[in-house]
This record gives sequence, structure tokens and C-alpha cells, in this order.
Amino acid sequence: MSTMLGSEFSRRSFIKGAGATAATALLAAMGISATDATFAFAGDGGKTFTYAIAGDPSVSPNVITTGDRFGLMTLKLVYSPLWMYNADGINYFLADSYDTSDDGKTLTVHLHEGVKWQDGEPFTADDVVFTYEAIESTETANQYSQLVYDQGKVEVKKVDDLTVTFTFPIAIANAAEMISQGFIMPKHLYEGVTDWEHNDVNNTPVGTGPYQLMEYQPGQYLRFEANKDYFLGAPHIDQVVFQIVTNENTGMQAIQAGEVNAWIGTPAEVQQMNIQGNGLTVTPYSEGRVAYLAINCNRVTNENVRKAILYSFDKPAICNAALLDPQYYDVEYTFLPTISEFYDADAVEKYDRDVEKAKQLLADAGQANPTFTIAYDSGNTLTETDALMMKEQAAEAGITLNIQAVDPTALSNTMLDDGGDYDMYFGGYIMGIDPTTFAPLFESDANWNYMHWGDAYPEIDELFAQGASELDPDKRKKIFSDLQAAVQNTGAFYPLYSNKRLLVTTSNVTNIQEAGLVPVYTFEDLSKLDMQ
Amino acid sequence: MAKYIARRLLIAIPLLLLISIIVFLLMRAAPYDAIDAMTTPKMSEETIAAIKAQYGYDQPVWVQYFAWLGGLLQGNFGYSIVTKSSIAEQLAVRIPNTILLVLPSYLVAYVTAIVLGLVAGSHRGSRLDHVIDGIASVLIAVPSFWLAMLLIFVFGYLLRALPIVGMQTVGDGSFVDVLRHYILPFVTLTIAFLPDNLRYVRSSTITQITQDYVMVQEAFGAKRAEIMFRHVCRNVLGPVLTRLGMALPMLVTGAIITETIFSWPGVGPYFMTAIKGMDYPIVMAILILSSTLVIIGNLLADVLNALADPRIRQGGAR
Repeated sequence: MSTMLGSEFSRRSFIKGAGATAATALLAAMGISATDATFAFAGDGGKTFTYAIAGDPSVSPNVITTGDRFGLMTLKLVYSPLWMYNADGINYFLADSYDTSDDGKTLTVHLHEGVKWQDGEPFTADDVVFTYEAIESTETANQYSQLVYDQGKVEVKKVDDLTVTFTFPIAIANAAEMISQGFIMPKHLYEGVTDWEHNDVNNTPVGTGPYQLMEYQPGQYLRFEANKDYFLGAPHIDQVVFQIVTNENTGMQAIQAGEVNAWIGTPAEVQQMNIQGNGLTVTPYSEGRVAYLAINCNRVTNENVRKAILYSFDKPAICNAALLDPQYYDVEYTFLPTISEFYDADAVEKYDRDVEKAKQLLADAGQANPTFTIAYDSGNTLTETDALMMKEQAAEAGITLNIQAVDPTALSNTMLDDGGDYDMYFGGYIMGIDPTTFAPLFESDANWNYMHWGDAYPEIDELFAQGASELDPDKRKKIFSDLQAAVQNTGAFYPLYSNKRLLVTTSNVTNIQEAGLVPVYTFEDLSKLDMQ
Repeated sequence: MAKYIARRLLIAIPLLLLISIIVFLLMRAAPYDAIDAMTTPKMSEETIAAIKAQYGYDQPVWVQYFAWLGGLLQGNFGYSIVTKSSIAEQLAVRIPNTILLVLPSYLVAYVTAIVLGLVAGSHRGSRLDHVIDGIASVLIAVPSFWLAMLLIFVFGYLLRALPIVGMQTVGDGSFVDVLRHYILPFVTLTIAFLPDNLRYVRSSTITQITQDYVMVQEAFGAKRAEIMFRHVCRNVLGPVLTRLGMALPMLVTGAIITETIFSWPGVGPYFMTAIKGMDYPIVMAILILSSTLVIIGNLLADVLNALADPRIRQGGAR
């Protein structure tokens, strides 16, 4: 499910991909501070949770092509996936379980019994088959590339009303991730629809999810009412409102005034606020986003010079300067986020600060006092801080770093360029759970390999290929440890931190942990959230 | 007069076409578009090509231009690339919201500016003039976003007297509720529109008062009030009236910042989001709309001026 958020990664104010499986999810962090929530009580005395979002969702939400963060949040309330697959593992929704065949190619999915669409029609295997077939026949569908391979399509078959099989053309280790997060649409309503983006069904969506969309006022809000017959139990909160608050400062005042009750802030913003005085709670949670510095190998060709640069940096100091408090971030040492089960910092070269070693490496390479340009997204204060710290630290090893603030779109485009205009630059990504989903960023011929190392490191491609086809968990663990080490050995990729999103809520919002905090959607199941 | 207006309208047509070409070409010249924003690392070249074809980006530039122009002429502004929604539908909802905010605040600022400007100008050098001119000088330097944040902080946060976000409370929407949401953005905009007009009225009043005809009137023993209302006012208000015409584009783009800060569901946040998201169809639609209003506004100003001053009217009919 390809999901990507706008970003410094490539300046997309847009998430492509429904579902954060992020199997391909590339949420290049759409700002660390997309807004979130407000809250008030409904006129009838019922509970209303108002969640302030930073912009309008795509107006015509559909499970096939909707890919922006707010559109996906809307879908998450109305529709249900078979299961969610996040860092904490699988969380079942429309499915109760699945079995994998011995050859690893076929997944047999057992559906939850007695689920009804919000219009009363029964949910069956036909809906699942219909949805996945629609995805496979729509090239612009979010999950398309996860289900259609060079070797063929994933075959989706109904066995009986409550059983569906997914047969992959090749054995694939993370098949369960590939079909996760895909929302199921009702066949009885969408049958005959040809244009997924413009049709009347989208305007009054009928799903199996905890809430029903009642009203959308462009630029103002979306209002949802509880689906009392939700198959995982009636939601605690009667009404959910996504209030659109585009300005960050306004959001900050609104949450403090209690007009907005949940909101996403940055560490710097949260530090400015009177959290205790206003009875607010801050809950940091990880989206598995990795922020990094990439060195363009076409411009800094000597591997040892690249390593010298990395040895001159003091990573913990950089992280602390940018994100203020260790509770707001995890320090990263490999290309995988720390929350990944395959994360193995012990296997890799960490490039702990060693100024003497840096100088030595430079001297050996015959480049005693080199000068490089380092570019950052002009709108991103975090990477600005990173760059300033690095400039100062590198100077101690005799390296001059010229800092350049660049328009984010221009930056992401020059990063795609083999030669480019800068020696190094900052980026960030949110990919999938399985390490193989990171291949588009690190394989030799990958479009999004910003380090541009060409065919210098074939072992990385090999390890990705092995990891994708290996089904034995222990062997996979070993392969991915080697892979993390291999990427670090290039000296071209320097992971910095995984910054957390800070969910700020008013004191009356409860059960946040039960509702679960996940990438993109914020809440894994909003029906569990409660208010006093 | 009708001839004059007709002639001006005819001149406006090639001008509008020229603007549409410039807007279109500028947008095409921008190095990135929403397609760039939609593609992800996982997509194959074919998928990216399919997305481009879906939005017509694979066609030659002139084909794209005429398709777009043809749509515009039929009132079809196209669809947002990012949200897929109809731009005309969105604007139909948002422009009235913007007008609701801008028109009253502009009129209040306008009338206040005329009154204060005349008072200050006719008492040039007095303490009253200093106070009014001083306030105008300070206000002209106050950025509206800062003023808006200040009002939000004081009235929304510290005093909790007024709501901060949006146009109405969800599920309420009563007159009183909308009015409470209305106050802060209204005050912000009124203050933003005021100083410019005020200083204009004041300086033209000063210019008029030093004219010979005023001295003549004084010599004939006319009262001060009589001179002000019968003579000075007339001459001052002519040019001021034309400013009203030129303010026409404000109805669409007059409150972009203020609307964004207060989450007022007008054109502002829509335009800002589109710019950030490289959603060019929206940007082009709003640019065309506002430049059309600039042309119509100028025409309106000229017509108002001609009505107020027969000399121009006759000049136009020759």
C-alpha cells in the first residue's frame, strides 16, 4: 500500500497510497506537525470528539485512489481493512486470521462473521474479491504495485462467504503486509462504477467502520456519527468531528483554549505551550520515520572521505539540539527505524564521533581540508539545526561545510539528479514494516536512491533479493543485519533520528493507548477512544 | 457613456486573453507540479505515465491551454489534482464566505477612513490630526497575521471570550454563533483595510484645502463647514470613490492571510493549500479570477470617475 506523505523527502504535501502499511509507504513526513484534534459536546449531550486537521481531505474519498493523510483518516473511520499491520504486529479487523501455504505463495484469509455494511447489507467474501480486483485493474490504485508483479498479479479467489485466498505469483515473505491496510468497499454499491474519483457513491460512503460520514463542509469540518452496530463493539464517542485548522499557531492557541482538544505539535511548539496549566496531555508516538543525511557518491567519490565526514559528527548532540528532549525522538543508527523488529544497531558501524580518525582518513586520502555543500529544506527548522550543528562539528576535523537553504521541491528534484548541485542533503522517509519495502531507496538502480552509488555496492541488491524470497525467520534476521551493515559501510547514508509525533490532548480525552497510535491515521481504532 | 463603457469592455477582452496565456505559461514554466507530488518510489515509469495521461499532462502545451481555456469559458474550472474536487464547486462555496467577511469590513474601514481622513485633513497640524495620522502610521506597519494572532491570544486564549477556529461551531451555526466567530477576523480585516484609505483621504483633503478656490471661498466669508461639505468633500471623494472600484478583487483575494489564520472557510486557505501542494489548476483559476476582477475593478473605477467628473466622460466620447 503505497503511502507517502508530503515531505522533505520529496516535498509532497500529499500522501499517495491508502493505508499506511507503508509496504511502500513513503510518508516522507508531511511535516511533523500536521494538526490534529478539537472537541466539544454535541447538543444532545452525547460525546463529541473534534479532531483538528491541517487541511481538507480529498473530497471524494474512495478506497482505491485516496492517498492523502486526511483522506485516509476519513476512510479509516468509515471503512475497515482486513487487518492493520504496524510495528506492533497484526491487528485484525474484517479478518479473524489467515494461514500461509507451505510454499509461501497462498494466504487463506478467514473473515469475521456477521459483519454488516452501514446500510444493513451483509459483508461477504465477494466484497473482498471485488475490492482487490478493482485495485489490480486500476494502475493508479494505491496498492497496485504491491499486488501486481513482473511475474503476474496476485490472484484473489472466494472459497466461501467467509474465506478468501490470495495467491502471489512468487513466494514473498511479507505477503501479509502487502494486503494489509487495504480498505474493503461494498460491491453492491460500487458495482458498475468506472471512475473511482468522481461518482455519487463516494459522496455518501457506506462502510463497515466505526463511524458514518454525515456532513462535509469544505474548509470547515467533517462530521461523523457513531455506527452503533460496529462489529468490534459500539464506539464510546457518539460524534467525531475533523475540524480544519490550517494555521499551526492557531491550532496551538485553540488546543490551549480548549476549543481544540487534540492536536499534533512539534517539540518546539509544545515547549512554548502551557501544557500543565491548561490540563493538556502530550503523548509522543512514532511513525517509524527515519531522518537522515545522504551524501551524493557522484560528488564525494572517495568512500573514506565520506566516512571521515561522518566521523566528525556528534549524532547525540545533533539530535538533542534539533528535538530538545530524548522523549521526543529515537537516535537512529541503521536505515531501519528502531521500532522495526529487524533493527540491529550492533551489527553496523555507528560512526561514533572520532575527530582524530576523521583527520587521519582525510590525510590518507590526500584531502586534508576539504569543502562541501550541505543543503536543507528551507522550510524545515529541524534540518536547519542539524546542518548548523554539523557545520560546527565538521570544522573541528578541518572540513568546511557550506550550508545552503533550498526550496523543498527544488531540493527533492536535485536529489533525484545523479550529479545534483549539492554534496549532501537531508531527507526523511516512512516506509513499510518489512525491510524489503526499503529497496526503492537503496538498490543500485532505484529511482529514489539519493546517494547515487551506482553499481558500487552490488551486495546491497543481493541482500534485498535474498531477504524478499527467504521465508525462514532466523535466516531473514541474519540477512537484514548484514544488509543494515552493508548500507552503513557505504559511508553515504547517515541516519539521524526517528522523530515522534506529539499528540496533544485535553484532559477529558481517555483511552488513547486502547485506541492505539499508528502512522498516518493517528488512531488505529477510534471506536475505543473515550471521553469523560 | 454607454459607448465609453463598451469600448473599455472591448479592450478588456484581449487583455484577459493575454493574462490567461501568461498565467498558463508561468504555471507550465514552474519546474514541479502536482504529478511530482503524487508519484512515489514504488511506482513504475508506466504508472507515472498513466497518471500524467489521466490529467492530460502528456499533451502538447497548446492543446492543454485551449482545453483549459475552453473549460474556463464554459464555467468549468477543472478539477483539483490533489483533492480531485471540482474547483467551480469549491469556489461557489468559498467565495461567498470570503465576501461575507471582506465586504462588511472593507465598507466599515472605508467609511471610517473617509470620516477620520476628512477630520484629520481639515485640522491639519492639530493634536487631533497628529493622533489620527499617528494611529494610521502605526496600523499601516502592523502585519495582519500578527494582529490576528494577537487578537486570538488575548480574546481567544487569555479571556476565552471568543472562539478562534472557523465560521461556526459544529452542529450550531445559529446567527449568534456565527457572529461570535465573525468578530475577530472582522476586526482584523477592518484594521488592515483602514490606514491606507485613511491616509489617502487625509492627504487629498490637505491638497484640496490649500487650493485657491478654498481661499476664494474664505475670502467671500463662507463658513468652514460649508466649504468642507460643499466643495472640498466633492473633490476629495471623487478619487476616493474610484478606489472603491479598484478594491473589487479584494472580494476574492482580500483576506488570504486572515482567513488562513482563523480557518475561515473562504478562498484564502484554499488558495494557500493549493500553492503549497502545487495544485496548479486551482492556482490558475484563482489567478484568472482575481486578474479579471482587477480589470473589471479598474473599469468600474473609470466609470465611477466619469460619472463623477463630466470632463472625463466627454473625453471618452470624443
